[in-house]
Amino acid sequence: MNDLCIDSGYISLIKAGEQLCGDRVVFAADDGTAICVLADGLGSGVKANILATLTSQILATMSAGGMSVEECVNTIVRTLPECSVRKIAYSTFTIVKIRDQRYVELTRFDNPHTVVLRDGRNFDFAYAPRMIEGKKIYESKFEAQENDVLVVMSDGAIYAGIGEEYAFGWERENIIRFLEAHYSPDLTAKQIARMLASECNRLYHGRPGDDTSVAVMRLCRRRTANMMIGPPSSRGLDNLMLGEFFAQTGTRIVCGGTTNKIAARYLGSELTASLDYADSDLPPIYNLPGVDLATEAVVTISRVLEYADEYLSGTRLSASWEKGRDGASRIARELFDPATDINFFVGCAMNPAHQNPKLSLAFGVKFQLIDRRSKSLEQMGKRVSVRYY
Amino acid sequence: MHLQSIGKEMIYMKVTICVGSTCHLLGSKRVVDRFKELVAEHNLSDKVELGGKFCMGHCGEGVCVTIDGTTHSIAPEAVDELFNKEVLTKV
Repeated sequence: MNDLCIDSGYISLIKAGEQLCGDRVVFAADDGTAICVLADGLGSGVKANILATLTSQILATMSAGGMSVEECVNTIVRTLPECSVRKIAYSTFTIVKIRDQRYVELTRFDNPHTVVLRDGRNFDFAYAPRMIEGKKIYESKFEAQENDVLVVMSDGAIYAGIGEEYAFGWERENIIRFLEAHYSPDLTAKQIARMLASECNRLYHGRPGDDTSVAVMRLCRRRTANMMIGPPSSRGLDNLMLGEFFAQTGTRIVCGGTTNKIAARYLGSELTASLDYADSDLPPIYNLPGVDLATEAVVTISRVLEYADEYLSGTRLSASWEKGRDGASRIARELFDPATDINFFVGCAMNPAHQNPKLSLAFGVKFQLIDRRSKSLEQMGKRVSVRYY
Repeated sequence: MHLQSIGKEMIYMKVTICVGSTCHLLGSKRVVDRFKELVAEHNLSDKVELGGKFCMGHCGEGVCVTIDGTTHSIAPEAVDELFNKEVLTKV
């Protein structure tokens, strides 16, 4: 095991005129192995969506369970419903498995060739064909390094701009050139996926002629973010909680007025509140020298959760939290993108003000928020730890 | 006497508005916006300083506004009344 981690993200564009995407991307993880499956169902709309959903879920679940490629393909062939028009059961797929953040196994059936960037340049690797259940499957194995970027695509990407900007579509060579030209080591997987999907969307003049998906996996160093929220259940625990919080390496975020006050006392620094509303629905952020970000808690974090849902839905090309100066956008930028390990320090003091019936705050709102947010972050592939005081 | 009246001219009033969760949900932003408007309308920006404040533990029915050390809990609609009574008469 090395100290690298896998950052992953995807974007799917829906074919113009359809409500559902006929491509499906699933990320899974099991015991040191990270898995990404991109399936592209035959046709478009509901039928393609069902085929792709079944295929990707079956492949991700079986691969995570350590099943062989033969068993996976076999299951797909025997379970997929047949298309009544074309009399075939069909969905293309790419499976990426990365074991111990190093050993990569690619399995591909009829999807475009995966692009791998090593230090920002195209990295060529060999593929070996093999027949399984009458299907020609291509397999490849190689050892990955820090900063390697794997870009998995559906054919909607390589055909982008067909008959318009390009006679035969965008093609893989141009995609490689585009990725090399726009590469930067600090781009996250999600940003790379969004960048390529946006370009495809532009080539399609905003009306994709086919479902277009880009899934990216990237090997990067681990980075920790620490967030403290709420004062401890008793004053006697203040120093324990603060001591443990400030002993961590990485980014520090403190949420909540009282929590910031006790942090200010611990640090001996001055806490100030401005009246500068970056977003009219959110309280202004605070200023506390010694921490990276200080904000209000429940209102701000409720918004962070909305951003997390948006992030996880994977169909939007631009994210509202990427540029905002408000507290929630800034928390989202710290937690969603660079952080790989997130530690929550949750104080359990009851806030009597939250019981005010005029406020429409649910009982135990703080704990519900922490719980939901931990789950969203885990879905993003982060290691989350929560300590209560 | 003369000196005292000069001192009085210089009086500087501090109005702080709570930006904690509860007050925010009860309408801090509207209170802040209205105070900014009133201060500008009456040309008091050199005499009245507006600022944000953390929860003082008086969370309740309204937004907490502290004027020269006294905390008032008001609804966003009541800003004008408070301003006329506590600010205009004292500067």
